[in-house]
Parts: sequence; structure tokens; C-alpha cells
Amino acid sequence: MEQLITAQNVTKKFKQLTAVDSISFEIRSGECFGFLGPNGAGKTTLVKMIHCVSPMTSGTLLVNGLPANINNRRIKSMTGVVPQEMNLDTDLTVYENLLIFSQFFDIPRGEALKLINELLEFVGLDQKKNSKIDELSSGMKRRLLIARALINKPKLIIADEPTTGLDPQARHLIWQRLRMLKEQGVTLVLTTQYMEEAAQLCDRIVIMDKGKILKEGIPEILIKEEIGEEVVEVRAAADLDDKIISHLSGISFHQERIGDTLYIYSRDGHDVMRKIVELDLPKILNRPATLEDVFLKLTGRGLIE
Amino acid sequence: MNLSYRIYYVWKRNLISYKRFVIPTLLVSMGEPLFYLLTFGIGLGTYIGLIGGRPYLNFLVPGILMSATAIAATYECLYGTFLHMVHEKLYDSLIATPISAEDAVAGDISWGVTRGLISGILLIIVAAALGVFPFTLIKLILLFGLMVLVGILFASMAMIVTSFAPNFDFFNYYSELIITPMLFFSGVFFPMDSFPGWVKIIAQFLPLTHAVALSRAVMSGIYQPGLIFNLLVIIILEIIAFYLALVFMKRRLIK
Repeated sequence: MEQLITAQNVTKKFKQLTAVDSISFEIRSGECFGFLGPNGAGKTTLVKMIHCVSPMTSGTLLVNGLPANINNRRIKSMTGVVPQEMNLDTDLTVYENLLIFSQFFDIPRGEALKLINELLEFVGLDQKKNSKIDELSSGMKRRLLIARALINKPKLIIADEPTTGLDPQARHLIWQRLRMLKEQGVTLVLTTQYMEEAAQLCDRIVIMDKGKILKEGIPEILIKEEIGEEVVEVRAAADLDDKIISHLSGISFHQERIGDTLYIYSRDGHDVMRKIVELDLPKILNRPATLEDVFLKLTGRGLIE
Repeated sequence: MNLSYRIYYVWKRNLISYKRFVIPTLLVSMGEPLFYLLTFGIGLGTYIGLIGGRPYLNFLVPGILMSATAIAATYECLYGTFLHMVHEKLYDSLIATPISAEDAVAGDISWGVTRGLISGILLIIVAAALGVFPFTLIKLILLFGLMVLVGILFASMAMIVTSFAPNFDFFNYYSELIITPMLFFSGVFFPMDSFPGWVKIIAQFLPLTHAVALSRAVMSGIYQPGLIFNLLVIIILEIIAFYLALVFMKRRLIK
């Protein structure tokens, strides 16, 4: 498949801080690519360089064969951005927001009017056409941001934490819409700190921390490689660890102790469970491994400040 | 400098936004110069008698015309732009489209000029209603051009201040310590002749002094060779201020 974005040793420094530290990756045309990481990992800084609103300190970054830099209007013309921060024009109505944006992209008025109606329907805001921005719920605002990002029929959509702060209904609606766009052949670049979101949407992900890429891959494969199939959580005092581990001898597993919980990762949770039950511990939970386990394993389970 | 025709789109966005507030802002734009014209022009003017063979109101109108234009452009690019930049995140959304940071800033400057023109035109109407100046078409065109020059200059200067402003309070320094004193030392309300020489020299460094001199010449129809110097000062300052406004604002917007 053709590469839409190629990054080599992309670096971004702010005075003391290296926000993005010599990162390389490739994003294929038509895929959904996710950047996962805790706050301050450098995700937003990275996508801002891709959509040409922030200059690189060093490295090369090509988008659709064009060098990404802040003066590249051609990259901006083919990109739709759903920003993390709500930056709708609060002086204008829902409709005016889309209309003025269509002009920023030099879309002829007749075409724009037709497109705006389609987009408002697509995000379920056709009833809110003449509402002021302040009258919208946060879910509606986010949907309008998506409609606005689609006004130039973009080849590439960059969504920076598109569902942060939304309720489950609003979140699922946005996921559906983003999946529909992918079906239509749009390339999606997503940043998120929700593992479920990445699992729901992304074909490939990278996990970032402190400006570096820790791991890259397909979500299911990453889970298998890093964690295994299943996780058994044992909420018990740390002094029981040796007893539990020796009791599990003969089974293939690895374990991790964080705070009040012992995590036991294995290919098959049944064997572990059978043994653990014999110990008659009060609080145990057997569940499939998730991307969240991978994420926490790589970025640490402790609080990141 | 990465400027394009997209400046117009930013200007148009401001126009659409302005429609919503047009009545209150028109009242404010009209209120202040009207207040000056009535209190100083008619109230004080009765005691002053003639200046240069004409009533005081005729002296005052060209001065107030320039100061009203300058102040309207200034406030738009202080408070209006700061609101766009920090509170509404408008610039963030603009520069993610083919609009460059320079386009966005120049667009806001062009809107500041427009607000200056609105104030200036309202003042001309008020002055005409008070019976000042039979305007000829040529004079109107010249005054209009002058208002545009003054608008760009003061909008750009305000934009430079905004590019450094941490919060709204910062603007008090500029408006109270620079703009307001400038009104009194630029010959808006009274001729500078009675001041000692060093004050006159300082006045030469105030851009409004040159604008007022030009405006007064156009309105009275008395042209002197020195006016070319006044015009040059304004144009040169304007180019410098506009350039710096774009550079400093870009530095703030693009991180």
C-alpha cells in the first residue's frame, strides 16, 4: 500500500524540553493510525507538525510526497483537523461556522451550501443549523468539529483526542462516524489516551512516552506479544506473592506487582485460575488482556507527573 | 512574509461576527467623538473664539477625525484580537486551514482599519450635522485615504502590543500611558504653538501629530510643502509597524 505520511527522525524542541525525540514512522494511505500515550507524551506536538501548524526542529516529514512545514498550504488544503481544544467560532452560528470554513478552503459557494447540509446530516446536527455554539452540548460541539474538518473533503483526517470528556453515547457516535469515513477511503490519524478507542478504530498504533516511540504494531498482536492472552488480577497483600507464585509452578506465566494488586499474565487464564482458587483468596478476577495492559506495562503503572 | 488574498476571508469572518453587535458598537463608535465635539467644540469653543480665522469646531473636527480613527483601530487590535487569540482560539482554527498566520494577523489588522473607518465616517456625518465643513468629493477621498493610512498604522502598533500581552490588564499601560497622552500632544484639541520647543520636538515623534497636520490641511484646503514630510513619516512608520506586527504575532501563534 502507498505511504501517505513518512517521518524520519522528526524532532521538536521547546527551549529546555524535547517534546518529540527523533521519531520515525510511516502511515499508509487509507489506514487508521493511532498515537497512544499519557499526557505530555508529545502526541499533539507530533500531529501539529504533520498538519503544518508547528515547525519541526529537525528531521524530515513528508505528507503525500510534500514536505510538511508551516507554509505548506497544499498539505493544509487536503487535511481535516479535529482539534483537541474546542475552537469553534462562538460569534457565529453552526451554519456560519461551516460556511466561513468552506471559504477558507476556496470552495465555491453553491458546492459549499450542498456540502454543508450533507455534513450537518452526517453528524446529526441538521436541526441545530441556526443555533449558537454556546447552545450546543459538548458532544454536539465535537460533532460539529468533525463536520468542519470534512468541509474540504480531506484525504487525511487528524483527530487529536476526539472523544476526551464525552459521555459514552457521544463517544460511540463519534467512533461510528470516524469508521464510516475510513470506509470511504480517508486516512485517519488519531491520538488518544483511551485504549478502547484505539482498539475500536486503529489498524496500527504506536505507543509513545516522553517524546519517544516505545512500541509499534497491530493492537491484537501487540497484546499477544507483550501480555499474552489473559490476565488474572489478585488483590492481596504483597507478602502472599511468594506463596502464590510457588503455587503456580509448572504453568507458564509472568507477573507484576503494583500497589495492592498482583497481575498474572498468561496464555491461558484457566490453568492459573484453577490453581489460584485452591488458595481461597478473597478477591480474584480473570479477564482477557487488553491494550490498556500493554500501555501500562510500557509506560508504567505509577502516576505520571 | 507569507501573505495571500486569504486576508479577505479573515476580514469577512470578522464582518459576519460584527453584524451581531452592530448596534451597540455603532452607538459606542459614535458616542465618544460626538461627546468630544459637543463638550470641547461647542462648550469650550464658545470661549475660545477663532483659531486661524475659523471657529474652534472647525479646528477640532479634523483632529478628532484622526484620533477617533486611530482609537477605534487600536482597540479592535488590542481587545478584539486578544479575545480571538487567547479566549476563542480563533487563530488556532484559522491556521489549520490554508490561511497562514500572516494572513490571519493581516486580516485582523484590516478589520481594525475597517472599524477605524466606521468611526471616522460616523464622525464626518456628525460634523456635517453640526454644520462644519462643506465637503467636496476630492476632500472626502483624501480624508478617506488618510483614515486608511492611520488605521493601518494604529492597528499594527496595537497588534505589536497584543503580541506581548499576557492578559487584558496589560492593555491599560498602552492606552493610558501612550494613546491618551498622545491625544493631548498631537495638536488634536489645541495648536502646539504655545508649548516650549522640547515639547514640540517630542510631538514630532508622535505619529498622530503628522496625521492631524495632514487632516487639517485637507479640510482647510491650505497645503504646504511640509505636508510631504508628514505623509512620509506616516507611511514609513506604517510599513515598519505592519512588518513588526506580523513578525511578533507569528512568533506568538506558531510554536
